[in-house]
Amino acid sequence: MMHKLDRRAFCFAMGLIGLGVGSVDVWAQDATIRLGIVAPMSGPNARYGSFSLRGAQLAIEEINNAGGVVGRKIAINSGDSQGTPVEGVSATRRLIDLDKVDFIIGDVSSSVTLAMQPVAEDAGVLLLNAASSNPKITYAAGVGGFKWTFRNYPTDENRALIVIQYAAEKRGFTKFAVLSVDTDYGRAAVDFTKKYLPGLKGTILTEDYYKEGEVDFRSVLAKIRDSGAQAIIMYGNADTTPIIGRQMIEVGLAGKVPLIGNAEFNTESTIKAAPKALEGAVEAAAWLPAWDAPKSLAFVEKFKAKYRETPNNHAYVHWETVHLLAKAIEAAGSADRAKVRDALSKIKYDSAMGEVTFDDHNQARLPMILLQIENGKPAIKGAYAAEIKYPAK
Amino acid sequence: MVSAIFEQIVNGIVSGSVYAIVAVGMTMIFGVLRAINFAHGEYYMLGTFGAWFAIEYFDLPYPVAIVIGVVATAVIAVVVGQFVMQRIVGAPPETGVLATLGIALVLQNTVILVFGGGYKFFSGGYIEPVSIFGFTLAEQRVLIIIVCILVFVGLELMVTYSRMGKAMRAVSQNIECCAVVGIDVPQVALRTFILGACLAALSGVLTAPVNVSVYGGMGEIITFKTLPVIIMGGLGNVRGTFFAAMILGIAESLVATYVGLQFRDTVGFATLMLVLMWRPHGLFSAQARF
Repeated sequence: MMHKLDRRAFCFAMGLIGLGVGSVDVWAQDATIRLGIVAPMSGPNARYGSFSLRGAQLAIEEINNAGGVVGRKIAINSGDSQGTPVEGVSATRRLIDLDKVDFIIGDVSSSVTLAMQPVAEDAGVLLLNAASSNPKITYAAGVGGFKWTFRNYPTDENRALIVIQYAAEKRGFTKFAVLSVDTDYGRAAVDFTKKYLPGLKGTILTEDYYKEGEVDFRSVLAKIRDSGAQAIIMYGNADTTPIIGRQMIEVGLAGKVPLIGNAEFNTESTIKAAPKALEGAVEAAAWLPAWDAPKSLAFVEKFKAKYRETPNNHAYVHWETVHLLAKAIEAAGSADRAKVRDALSKIKYDSAMGEVTFDDHNQARLPMILLQIENGKPAIKGAYAAEIKYPAK
Repeated sequence: MVSAIFEQIVNGIVSGSVYAIVAVGMTMIFGVLRAINFAHGEYYMLGTFGAWFAIEYFDLPYPVAIVIGVVATAVIAVVVGQFVMQRIVGAPPETGVLATLGIALVLQNTVILVFGGGYKFFSGGYIEPVSIFGFTLAEQRVLIIIVCILVFVGLELMVTYSRMGKAMRAVSQNIECCAVVGIDVPQVALRTFILGACLAALSGVLTAPVNVSVYGGMGEIITFKTLPVIIMGGLGNVRGTFFAAMILGIAESLVATYVGLQFRDTVGFATLMLVLMWRPHGLFSAQARF
């Protein structure tokens, strides 16, 4: 009897507490705009998550110190995706159902973002991605399907197009060899390159994909040397670049045929491993701390002053994307989700990388920084934008 | 065209030499212990790490680093040999599989724990290209081929003439008889194991300058490349291993050039399947010994 009573009392008490929390919630919602950040806060990509959250927090601090947007302050609720789709989806649900967020920025990893898209769509919550590069995310957004997904980050397709365009137009290359990693990333980047290659009058002479962990590239490099290719299109792992660089020196490719694409050609240790082979290598990056724009440099200074470390790419894109969202809320005149979404699709935002606008797939038109290795140092050759050609429906 | 094929064959001989030095240790260990040493690639990794450590932390020249890499691996092999490998002699076959797989995990993760999981940069070695027969090759690769030939001549002599070599052959033929005539089987097993581990380490140190990256998981791929070699060569057959490694190296090199790099890793196992269908005891075994 006593036991039963206890349980009843407990339920009653819990109900009261729930009501209390609920009412506090409603009150809080009136006072602040709630922004959810989904990022890998633990697991192997925790470093990216921490940079992302810090970048977003810095932006929130700046916005709130300036009086907030539409007279309201913004508060952050953080969700941990652990870099896996399953955890990303539950973090998103928690943010939507329990924290009642109005907007979500997330995730870093493409596979997590792809899993979050339908969740945000069902709830009618704006999902603004700031750091995933898989083209699928915005192929399936806007006129492609998900009305509530936006992305403020260049895709692998942007990257492939910008790199090949630069190589063809500025360097005058027409004959290419492919040597990329045998993964979705490496193969997709080459497929996108091929999509734009005919328009640039380029041809691919040889095409090879290496398995992760491959260490012997002599045979294939000798074949490339004999094929007469002018540049090697390489989308690969950072760890393989020094090996390929050294073997390029061995077979006599170094200094004659540059690498173009993306595999961390610009890191100091890679260049040190094979300076002659990396000379003239071309790579595209979404952002770099060294990017010479006043807004960007000011961000780096502020971030360093607050956190005592140099921000990475993820810190920057989250910082910028929070500001972008605030601008959209301001343009909409309220934090009403549908109004903000419409404002976002029409926005013209001045980012540190240039003006941001969104296409009909809710994909931001963003420039990427083009790097070329010159005299053993990465030299910034400017920012280049690329319009994506979506397949006709 | 002819010179291109010739260059690819030389490339194949270089990678074949690397496989050969690693595989011969593995095959000798199998001959004596009747266990496939799944941790073999880990000794290759340990040797490389030893040399990398010597160069990076003590600024020692590369030749000294080779010695340090091999000696460090030998010390670890003595410990593993006494505590684990000696006990495998005469035990059921699954013991060897489980024990060596376990050792592989322990060694790999210890290295990751101590040095971190990131890729390290190996800066030693002779990487300047030299010109031979009209094409270029890093000096280091010439060194690898020379060391491979020396190792195999040495092993051939040792197995044929030395007391230790004779004991090894005896143990690989019949453990009971060895015990009867007074051969210290656990001692022979331990020595063979240490020799095998040292050869793997030597191969690791020699290839490090051309492979550049050093990391905890680098041994795994080596273990799986050497498996087809030792089976093709005939388990426990030193000479067979040499030729099988060369065949695999050259075949891989030709496939990578004329078919596609992505098919390179299939060569080993495809050849292995053919060999198992056609000559299940290996290409070079006159008869089965077991």
